[in-house]
Amino acid sequence: MADPRKSAYGAAAGGPSDTSFRRTWDREEYAAKAAARAERERAEGRARHEARLAGKKYVAPGRGRRGSTPPDARATEARRARLDVAAQVGKTQLVAAAAAVGKRGKGAGFYCPDCDLTFKDNVAYVEHLNSRQHLVAVGQTGEVERAGAAQVRERLRWLWWKGVRERAEEGDVDLGKRVEDAVRREEKEREEKRRKRNEKRRKRKGGDDDVPAWQKVENDGFIY
Amino acid sequence: SHTADARRHLDNRGYVGPLTRGVNPATLFEKPVVDRIIESYYWKEQCFGLNEASLCDRAVELTSVGGVYGGGSLGKASPFLCLAFKLLTLAPDRAVVEAYLNWGAEDGDYEDEDEEAAMDEDGGAGPREKNARRGRGADREPDPHEPPRRAGAFKYVRALAAFYVRVAWDAVDVYRTLEPLLGDWRKLRRRTRAGFVLTTVDQFVDDLLTKERVCATTLWKLPQRSLLEDLDLLEPRVSPLGEELEALDADLEGGEG
Repeated sequence: MADPRKSAYGAAAGGPSDTSFRRTWDREEYAAKAAARAERERAEGRARHEARLAGKKYVAPGRGRRGSTPPDARATEARRARLDVAAQVGKTQLVAAAAAVGKRGKGAGFYCPDCDLTFKDNVAYVEHLNSRQHLVAVGQTGEVERAGAAQVRERLRWLWWKGVRERAEEGDVDLGKRVEDAVRREEKEREEKRRKRNEKRRKRKGGDDDVPAWQKVENDGFIY
Repeated sequence: SHTADARRHLDNRGYVGPLTRGVNPATLFEKPVVDRIIESYYWKEQCFGLNEASLCDRAVELTSVGGVYGGGSLGKASPFLCLAFKLLTLAPDRAVVEAYLNWGAEDGDYEDEDEEAAMDEDGGAGPREKNARRGRGADREPDPHEPPRRAGAFKYVRALAAFYVRVAWDAVDVYRTLEPLLGDWRKLRRRTRAGFVLTTVDQFVDDLLTKERVCATTLWKLPQRSLLEDLDLLEPRVSPLGEELEALDADLEGGEG
């Protein structure tokens, strides 16, 4: 008689290998998971109960319903320096027609890297920098700390000495000397302009005395 | 703490913050003027996120007083007006406003810790020499780069604070606080609709005390000083020019008589 474990089909039909294509579960792993979940639910129940006793509303951790303030948000402060909006004035640049998200963001304009937005107008840019959307992206709360009289006096004192130091660095403020400096600067600029104008004129005319450009190549342009 | 911009003050229907003169401080300026201020680039760029101390940085850079200037029928808000509005929304307390008005009257205001640290590296100069160099105490050499030291050393900060006092404080406080400024003869630049005009601090303060409309604001009606004196809230005014005025009157009477 054949082995009772083996069926007529050869392989152990109805035995474990017959259903080896089916999924198997690691019972211990899932038992552990169930225990952990039960523990968590018990803890949450306790927390809800405590919140109800204290009269507060229970908020699930890590699931802020309304975008709560991150714990490391900084208070907003005033800008220390003017915004540089005139950097690109007068310059010409090629802009990708499609929205190219590269280092300069989408095309030309004022780019805010924190929010990945580009503005065509400096007023829109400044309004964006003051907006809630940007402040949240930068990690500021939009609230400013109060300052008292002592801090105001301290600040005025610092500004006083800063003014004195700046004036000392500027040097002589004699009117005559400043007029001379201005005249000298103007002369220099005029010289520069004259020189550039002459160069341009020379280039445009081609110059009858100058060698034409195509003759400057080797062999005078003839190809043998 | 305050909000970085003035959004809580702008819609008066929902205003729950501190009151000045019994109302939302932003309503002390007229609505069209407030609109001009909030739309200006200066407000958006430089008045965002100011508190009482960083406002000093901006105020010290002011070069003119003024309300609304130029720009066709509507006009543009001057930086002075923007900072005045910021001051209204900040609602600073008395001590802070008095610091703006009268900083610089005492020697203690000018003690410079940075200078001290730099001087100490000089290798033990005596205290008297240090004081002489640093500009403290009686035996100081005047630093040629330093403006004269006096109360309200920054004149535009003083003018800004005077404007705030006139708009926000009570009558008795206004008279008591602004009358000392009538002795400040320093020049100011006033920006009008058309252009710039020369004025002085005392002329500006006198305008604040007598005129109805200064710097694009209708000032609330200040009771006459004589009224307050009769009510015993103020002492009768002793003018610094008192003796000279009496001498002048005596001369006139002597001439006629």
